[in-house]
Amino acid sequence: MTWSGKLRAGLLLAGLIVLFGLVGPLLTGDPATIRDVGLTPPGDGHLLGTTITGQDVLAQLAHATRGSLWIGLLVGVMATVLSGVFGIVGAYAGGAVDEAFSLFSNVMLVIPGLPLVIVVAGFVPADQRGTWTISLVLAITGWAAAARVLRAQTLSLRNRDYVAAARVSGEKTWRVICVEILPNLLPILASQFVFAVVLAILSEAGLSFLGLGAADSSTLGTMLYYAQNGFALQREAWWWFVPPGLVIALFGGALSLVNFSIDEIINPALRERVRRGRDVVATTPVVAPADEDVVLTVSDLNVVYQGATPVHAVKDVSLTLRRGEILGLAGESGCGKTTLAYAVNRLHRPPAEVTSGSVVFDGVDVLALGPEELRRFRWVRLSMVFQGAMNSLNPVTPISAQLQDVLRTHRPSMTATDRAARCAEVLRLVGVDRARLGSYPHELSGGMRQRVMIAMALLLEPQVMIMDEPTTALDVLVQREILNEIKRLRDELRFAVVFITHDLPLLLELSDRIAVMREGEVVEYATAEEMYLRPRHPYTRQLLASFPSLTGERGALIR
Amino acid sequence: MGYHLRKVAFYLAALWAAVTLNFVIPRLLPGNPVDILMAKLQQRGGSVDPAARQAYETLLGTGGRESFAQEYLAYLGNLLRGDLGVSVSAFPAKVSDVIGDSLPWTIVLVGLATLISFVLGVGLGALVGWKRGTWLDALVPATTMLSAVPYFWLALILVALLSSGLGWFPLNGGYDVVLDPGWNPEFLGSALYHGILPALTIVLSSVGGWLLGMRNMMVSAMSEDYVLTARAKGLTGSRVMIRYAARNAVLPSVAGFAISLGFVVSGSIVTEQVFSYPGIGSKLLQAVQNNDYALMQGIFLVITIAVLGANLVVDLLYGLIDARTRDRSTVS
Amino acid sequence: MTTLEVRDLTKTFHRHRAVDGVSFTLTPGRTVALVGESGSGKSTIARMIARLVRPTSGEITLTGQDGAPVARRAYRDHVQMIFQDPFASLNPFHTVEHHLARPLLLHGRSRAEVPHLLERVSLSPDLARRRPHELSGGQRQRVAIARALAPGAKVIIADEPVSMLDVSIRLGVLKLLDRLQREEDLAVLYITHDLATARHFSDEVLVMHRGRIVERGPGDDVLLRPRDPYTRQLAAAAPDPEARFRQGGQP
Repeated sequence: MTWSGKLRAGLLLAGLIVLFGLVGPLLTGDPATIRDVGLTPPGDGHLLGTTITGQDVLAQLAHATRGSLWIGLLVGVMATVLSGVFGIVGAYAGGAVDEAFSLFSNVMLVIPGLPLVIVVAGFVPADQRGTWTISLVLAITGWAAAARVLRAQTLSLRNRDYVAAARVSGEKTWRVICVEILPNLLPILASQFVFAVVLAILSEAGLSFLGLGAADSSTLGTMLYYAQNGFALQREAWWWFVPPGLVIALFGGALSLVNFSIDEIINPALRERVRRGRDVVATTPVVAPADEDVVLTVSDLNVVYQGATPVHAVKDVSLTLRRGEILGLAGESGCGKTTLAYAVNRLHRPPAEVTSGSVVFDGVDVLALGPEELRRFRWVRLSMVFQGAMNSLNPVTPISAQLQDVLRTHRPSMTATDRAARCAEVLRLVGVDRARLGSYPHELSGGMRQRVMIAMALLLEPQVMIMDEPTTALDVLVQREILNEIKRLRDELRFAVVFITHDLPLLLELSDRIAVMREGEVVEYATAEEMYLRPRHPYTRQLLASFPSLTGERGALIR
Repeated sequence: MGYHLRKVAFYLAALWAAVTLNFVIPRLLPGNPVDILMAKLQQRGGSVDPAARQAYETLLGTGGRESFAQEYLAYLGNLLRGDLGVSVSAFPAKVSDVIGDSLPWTIVLVGLATLISFVLGVGLGALVGWKRGTWLDALVPATTMLSAVPYFWLALILVALLSSGLGWFPLNGGYDVVLDPGWNPEFLGSALYHGILPALTIVLSSVGGWLLGMRNMMVSAMSEDYVLTARAKGLTGSRVMIRYAARNAVLPSVAGFAISLGFVVSGSIVTEQVFSYPGIGSKLLQAVQNNDYALMQGIFLVITIAVLGANLVVDLLYGLIDARTRDRSTVS
Repeated sequence: MTTLEVRDLTKTFHRHRAVDGVSFTLTPGRTVALVGESGSGKSTIARMIARLVRPTSGEITLTGQDGAPVARRAYRDHVQMIFQDPFASLNPFHTVEHHLARPLLLHGRSRAEVPHLLERVSLSPDLARRRPHELSGGQRQRVAIARALAPGAKVIIADEPVSMLDVSIRLGVLKLLDRLQREEDLAVLYITHDLATARHFSDEVLVMHRGRIVERGPGDDVLLRPRDPYTRQLAAAAPDPEARFRQGGQP
């Protein structure tokens, strides 16, 4: 774990305030002592001036900070324990216990907290409203949101295989919760604790400001209460009114910074630094090759993930794609095949950057296109089908809207009737009933979704379709249907395909030519037949030797 | 059970819980509210006949003369008739009338401020997430710092600076007291003018929460495959941002509306007090300070019902914007 | 002879029969492959045998070396499971040492056996101090295999043990399992969707479709000469480059 600047700043600021609350009262003396006639502005004798009754504001601030922090800590601990019991235990137990706990948490969540606290505080006679009473009430009204977060996370953790594995090895339930689940909840528990502390300090300040706080405590809220009732602002005694609020704000802000960092630990997507990289590398367009048969030429392409240690994801790759050809791109995870596919369409995002090379598409230098030209180029000339059709479709809009989007953008002159007809037409091409147009992605099976994606890729009759592991997530039977569909459509419509997969036997069966990639480089580039019969590169041979043959001798490999 | 039915059932359960809480609290806590109320009533020249006493006992407890169940039934019966008792601080006004007078002020103020804050926060959050790596990033810590400021403190500082200092806004109140409340332009203009500063306080304090939540979800959504697909489709940037990324990123903000609404309502009670706004929050505090238990309980119930109602509306709306919820709930 | 017998196993989820009357026997020194598509019920069978899921009906009986049924309490000394995704089956918070020492201790052994366990799965004992994210996919799955061996289990349920691994290391892991099965006389249930490895790494193949076993027998019989229409479809659907180039007149 690296300590980001935010975390360091947050912890430092929060630490200073805690230190002030701990040590301050010892140094500043009794806050109740009357030191002068009152309302002296900050100066030599009193760093922060005095109150209307002549007490030192700094001394009061130190004691009040201690009081507020103490209540924050009490409530934070109690609320976290409550949320842990209702969130974690409930979710792990499952069944009726979970239902009941979850219902209870949700009810507590929707009943507004502060009004309830005010009512309770209103019923308890002032002399019986102690720090513990107030803290307890704040904890009881403040744990529910955290319980909901913890429950969601625990539900996800308890279905992880490592929890199942621990149970299979015979671990007791309490040990599974404490040793296997709890450590992985720590970031979330920490963030919920921090949040509970801030909320408690803010709520207590509000209560005290209203005169409903704990009778036996002095907090930043009570200080503000006295400042307000002493008309501090009206008398322009800002030094009395501003510091308590500022301490609350700074402490809250510091803990928010800590929470930002925890968020970044939980969700790595938030962590990555975003650099707005150079978008266009080529300034002088590359002259189109003479070969009319070639639709896409990639020459000496290099893609680098710029970072502390730059990763050279694509190294000097050169490929040509002929019209109507199926080019297979084979390789294992991390070999750069997907990065290459994205770079061809300039879909790579920072920190990935095309450092050199060219991509020429039917005479057009793709790397030299301006943003608007690039947008007009995409999908019209080259469309893509991604691996998880599950995730490639927008989950919240129906299929028809996602198909129509393409036509609306690229064929603005098309009428609504024509658009609808075209959408139905492409669905028919891939064998999906047009009645499915109104369906949402989650209502379709995996194979159906992938067909819809292919239909979408066909909408504008592009010359090239890039397919990135289009069948990997599918079952064999569905995979077979989709592959047959792709072959048939290619034969009918004569588009070229770049088919990316780790499944070399599949490519050997499907492709015209195959490029094998390893560590960013194309190590072998040949026709499928050549590669099957006479693989030259040792890595190609190793890959071929990884697949046992289904029909050959027992123990025999594909090659 | 359908999604909508489940939601309605849940909020009915929550309402029942709140009503019961309201019944139990005065009976469990120390103190003798009925005696205090009767004493107050006497001071104000109210009738201290047994009927008045019995009415308060139904609300707050008989001290063991009747069984819990009997008290509970009588209490529920009164609620169903809309009888929340008589206020002692505004004697002889009925609690329901006091609430009726102040509720519209709060609903308009808090409702509008929440709406503005939500739209602003979600909109800015989407933009900040989309344009990550630009100067807009600075909005996140700035607004988060504002959310860590106590509402009332911010309100008082704003009053000191903008009202007392610059004289731009009135110091307090909900309208100019020389005007008679009514549906006329002067009065409405005055109410609007008086509402700006309280609303500004609520918006400033709550916008950071929406913004941060939306921004984080936006960043996550942008790494989703459907956004990549949308870019590959050659759609315009704004279309990808709104229809694909933000459309999905906003879902957790809507789902988490209940939590945020709780904070806003809590904050606005204190804000109303600062501005002596004629809303329900000020009335609640007035009731607490005067030991007007009947009014206190009535207001708590009404606030709870309003919050539950708002959450129900948002939940039903969620079912509309995310088709998956409707289907999921039929399975689980 | 530790054998595990499954008889008429059935599991119903929300009135849907995920597993429907399945019977088979696992005996030492033999690997049974359970083949099927996702949703066919094969993982549910694994989870029922591992006692993670309670069967709706049917029996799972474990017979110990002495020929007597094994007590419930001792069941997990004998039956262990290898999960599909080595990225998910190891707790990111704990070291390799923890993952191996816990099952050792739980089954009355000593944590001093950890280095030996690692060696048995061809890993360096130095790896014990590492955490899962410091290991490659193949190393993780070997650790998962070692964890299954730690209690001294004689029956191993391997649920898609290589489908999440990179292709070039899959065979290595399967060969390791095969070697352990032979050397240590284990009874192995190999669950997979991949027909080719099922055929090569098993003594018997069971084909599952919609919760039922539709065909069973030696791998060559089932996959080269399938009788059931579903098995035939499956066998025909697998990519087969040999067919393409055989047609082209090549040997």
